[in-house]
Amino acid sequence: MVALVCAATVGARSMGAAFSSGLHLSATLAEPAHFSGFEAALLLVGVAISAGLFFWRFGPILGTIFRSKKDTNFSLHPIGRRVWDFFWEVLCQGKVIKQRPLPGLAHAFVFWGFLAFALVSLNHLANPLGLAFLTPTGGVGNFYFIFAAIWALLVAVSITGLFVRRFFARPIWLGTKVSNESGVIAFLIFLLMASYLGAFFVDDGGTAVKVLWWTHTLTLLIFLPLIPQTKHLHLVLSPLTVFLKRDGFSKIPPLSGDEDFGLIAGKDVTQLISLQVYSCVECGRCTEHCPASNTGKVLNPKEIILGVQSYLNQSGPASDAPLLTEALVESRDNPPAKYMSMEAAFECTTCGSCEYQCPVGIQHLPIIIGLRRGATNTGAWEDTHGTKLFLALEKQGNALGLSAMERDKFIQKQGFPIFDGTQEYCLWLGCMGGYDPKGREIVADFARVMQHLGTTFGVLKKEKCTGDPARRLGNDLVFQTMAESGLKAFEAAKVQKIVSICPHCVRTISNDWREYGIAPEIEHHSEFMARHKERLPKQASGESIVYHDPCYLGRYRDVYDEPREIVKMAGELVEAPRSHERSFCCGAGGGLAFLGEERGERVSHVRAAELVGTGAQIVGTACPFCNTMFRDALSSMSDAPPQLLDIAQLTARALPKMQDTGE
Amino acid sequence: MKILVAIKQVPERDAQINIADSGRWIDESDVNYTINEPDAYALEEALQLKEKNGGEVVVICAGPERVTSTLREALAKGADRAIHIESDDIGERDTLGVAEMLAEVAKAEAPDLILTGLQSDDLGLGQTGVVLAELLGIPHATIIMQVEVTDSGLKVKRELEDGWFQHVEMPLPALLTIQSGGNKLRYATLMGIKKAKTKETRTVQAGAAASPAITLERVYLPKKQKKTEMLTGTPAEVAAKLVEKLKFEVRVI
Amino acid sequence: MSGVLVLMEQRGGVWNRMSFEALAAGQQLAAKLGMECSAAVIGEGIDALCAELAGKKLAKVFAVQHALLKDYTSDGYVAAAELLIRQTDPAYVVLPHTYQVRDFAPALATRFKQVLISDVIAIHDGPVFVRQLLQGKLNADYKQADAGPCFVSVQAGTFRAEAVEAGAASVENFTPQLEAGQIRNKPGELFREAAHTVDLGAASVIVSVGRGIGEQENIGIVEELASALGAELAASRPICDNGWLPMERQVGSSGQTVSPKLYLAVGISGAIQHLVGMKGSKTVIAINKDENAPIFEVADYGVVGDLFEVVPALTKAVLAAKG
Repeated sequence: MVALVCAATVGARSMGAAFSSGLHLSATLAEPAHFSGFEAALLLVGVAISAGLFFWRFGPILGTIFRSKKDTNFSLHPIGRRVWDFFWEVLCQGKVIKQRPLPGLAHAFVFWGFLAFALVSLNHLANPLGLAFLTPTGGVGNFYFIFAAIWALLVAVSITGLFVRRFFARPIWLGTKVSNESGVIAFLIFLLMASYLGAFFVDDGGTAVKVLWWTHTLTLLIFLPLIPQTKHLHLVLSPLTVFLKRDGFSKIPPLSGDEDFGLIAGKDVTQLISLQVYSCVECGRCTEHCPASNTGKVLNPKEIILGVQSYLNQSGPASDAPLLTEALVESRDNPPAKYMSMEAAFECTTCGSCEYQCPVGIQHLPIIIGLRRGATNTGAWEDTHGTKLFLALEKQGNALGLSAMERDKFIQKQGFPIFDGTQEYCLWLGCMGGYDPKGREIVADFARVMQHLGTTFGVLKKEKCTGDPARRLGNDLVFQTMAESGLKAFEAAKVQKIVSICPHCVRTISNDWREYGIAPEIEHHSEFMARHKERLPKQASGESIVYHDPCYLGRYRDVYDEPREIVKMAGELVEAPRSHERSFCCGAGGGLAFLGEERGERVSHVRAAELVGTGAQIVGTACPFCNTMFRDALSSMSDAPPQLLDIAQLTARALPKMQDTGE
Repeated sequence: MKILVAIKQVPERDAQINIADSGRWIDESDVNYTINEPDAYALEEALQLKEKNGGEVVVICAGPERVTSTLREALAKGADRAIHIESDDIGERDTLGVAEMLAEVAKAEAPDLILTGLQSDDLGLGQTGVVLAELLGIPHATIIMQVEVTDSGLKVKRELEDGWFQHVEMPLPALLTIQSGGNKLRYATLMGIKKAKTKETRTVQAGAAASPAITLERVYLPKKQKKTEMLTGTPAEVAAKLVEKLKFEVRVI
Repeated sequence: MSGVLVLMEQRGGVWNRMSFEALAAGQQLAAKLGMECSAAVIGEGIDALCAELAGKKLAKVFAVQHALLKDYTSDGYVAAAELLIRQTDPAYVVLPHTYQVRDFAPALATRFKQVLISDVIAIHDGPVFVRQLLQGKLNADYKQADAGPCFVSVQAGTFRAEAVEAGAASVENFTPQLEAGQIRNKPGELFREAAHTVDLGAASVIVSVGRGIGEQENIGIVEELASALGAELAASRPICDNGWLPMERQVGSSGQTVSPKLYLAVGISGAIQHLVGMKGSKTVIAINKDENAPIFEVADYGVVGDLFEVVPALTKAVLAAKG
């Protein structure tokens, strides 16, 4: 710390030659004794120029945001959540610190330092005008100056650390190009702090203090206009962005009217999206955690945000020019055009890592899915597998394109009763549970668990896909058809409570369907089983089980502990290197399970290797999509891969064999 | 180029098959209907021809009120106009009777080209197109994979058996029956559905049905239901049994 | 109006072998109705074919010849057949349900205000003609409603070509009055796709191999079976992932969707990703050592056994059957 204090004084020392008196540390801040009228005038002119430049650069951005399309259905409700997010994410810097503790803390110090410094800066500028409200001689003033000095020290140290990280350690997700402007800003912040701290080392009223004062002032005046049109705009915008972000994770807003098909061009970009893309601080957390970016695909969530930003700068919010290019275009634009391509947009697994991590309130999923909507709802997206999927949903009503009779046969074979209103639960099978051999095993085992608990259940006579893949791939027509037909089916069958083995179904029914009506209460089988765990068998298997958090159960539903409780009853829980809210996707989400070959490495293989790497004997899953992805990945990885079991199977294997159902 | 596409609405492929009380057709109460798949390919071909050469695509469908949903879907996919021949007794008409209904409208429309699927998913007679061409006195070609507009008319690629193909040139107006799978179908989009709302669907009343040339007397479930037959024995015995099946059941030898 | 007339199909002096199945059907129908059966061949340069028919149990063989009938056109065939039928006045006209018949026979029937009863799979007393509806999920009995020649085409494999009865028949030449102006279509030469790229989607027989094959070197035995059956070789995803076969041969959700007449799955367990790619197959045969493999759920015929024994035995049996 001492060394760093010395370092902080270097700035002051460099000006030392001009100083008449020697340096000594005093416990009070030195202030210039007197300002001439000329100086006051100079300051006023300087402030005017600085503020003028600031607004000259900020105005167009503000204009773009205001001229963007209004967000329909936007409401400040629930205000409590917004206040809390503001408090936690902005004031406490909770997200910033949690996701990257060391640089996060450094950033938090800079932020808190700035807050502490606000009063000092105001006072600093007020001084020549004779309006100072804090003086080093006053008890309060002295205390505050010293308080601010401690923060100044922390800021100086932190900004040095962050500078070293950005320019020398250079983590890849910050971008491969070093931005000089960041260096300038860092230097200015450092200079701001140094020139303040320097005033503790000089005498009142001398030349040195004047030089320091003017250095500080000039730095401040230069700093201000640099904020807009750089990522430092987040200083101004992100508190607002965090407060105003859409309520709910991966919240896909309803289309507004007959002319809205999603994000096709600038005219479709809403004010919230504008605000968000201008708030981007380019930290790259979104890209760092993105399964697509990490496996050699084109998609880079940060570049999508910056791509929309640069589009708005170039074409403006009223433009008809398409946001996405149909083909991959190699260009030297900045950001490179390839990131704003259809291929990139359709590589997203909608795992939600980006949105979850973003410290400035950017909601990537409504943007990426919005771009997909624009492409799919207009038919611009032409993909063989995608078309096949949509046609299967249109015609067969399930994502796999199998005959509905296959589901009937499965129900008959299992002896599942049809829901008739007398049972407590409606067991929702989903496409995987109804058609996929492995998914069927999971459903059958979960049914055994319910029978063991004496919980009555029935299945719907006819069931169609929830529309999840259509929703995520931006096909509103198919999604609406599915949602409406599902809502009608539940209503006709007078269903009160639903349980499902599929987190995608749970999320889509409980959340996305709300656009068209309210579905009965639905829960995931992990929640159901955890609630009844006292009556489920405990196994002393001693087997190690690594649990994989499905994106749609974890980040989308905040369910982390319940499946773990089930896993712990079946063996020893092992955590994967990336788990809980940082879990790495299996690659199936966003409709990608139904699309063709992936560019680069397979997401499922990367994740499966990570799970195998824990050395666990069993891979525990809680989602039939994860299960099917890992089934393929594990079998191609080794001849003796770990066993792959859903939590329902982990529980059911300990149930007494041959439950007599009385059917 | 004005293209008329004759489409049919048929039960969905996985519809529950229950035989109606009459014993002459399936119970339709629980059946969902959709566009006949080969007709979907005919529509796709028409839309692509229009995209290439300009013109108009008119879809035509005969049947009760319910078929308008299929016409709407065709409009959503890009057809310009629809004509609904309202006929509640279409089941009583044979191929000739249906083709006569279509011919009446086709004559008035006087299109340059008529497209339809090579056969229907429900009755599978595979004749309506050819009969319609005969009634209109225009040339036709069947099981077409590709269509190319030339100075003198059309050049089409016909599919023949065993992987053979043939190009056929023909003058316009003409009728083609389109093979499934030659193109990639498009999915209905939200934008298409919204646009379809502003497009015209004209309803014409079908004339009285003439007495049919052939009649469907009764329908029944085939004896052989799809059930896995496990073949057992030594490898040679199993092989012999399989060859027997390949010869007489599957008929690929 | 009496008798059964079978319209045989040839191209360039070579029979379409299904013609003899139609001939068998015609003979059997005629016998059932106590009628005579005749046959006709349309084309040019068909004397040898007619001579062959003269050795069958037929009342007459009509050689319908004209220079304009050298290459098939629907206009030419419809006109020629119409003239022949008007002159011979048969009660039934039987045809093989070939691509060519599908092209002209509906128009021919229309000339007589009749409707072709197409793709018939059985003929019962009455006569009642059985057809399949809804992709084979339903059978239907059809009857002719009023007088006039009744046109029927029979599905491949319904009647056995070897059941054609031998006998003696006279050959009669029939030269239809045709004008070049009647023929509106200009047919081109027949061709196969130049570059034989793998198009599993169009293949009518597919032999597909999965993980059960174990090693890349073992794929050879499956290839031999495929070539014996004249089938395309396909694979499930793990095989292509390992690079044992090219990606374009992959059947399944991330590969191709196929709907052949026969899908023979060797060592494929039947993961859903695979099943969705081949569920349209008309007949599925599965060979797998695991009796619980999901592939058996969708198979018509299943063999639980060691593919290394079953496959070579099957290849041998297929080659023997083909002669």
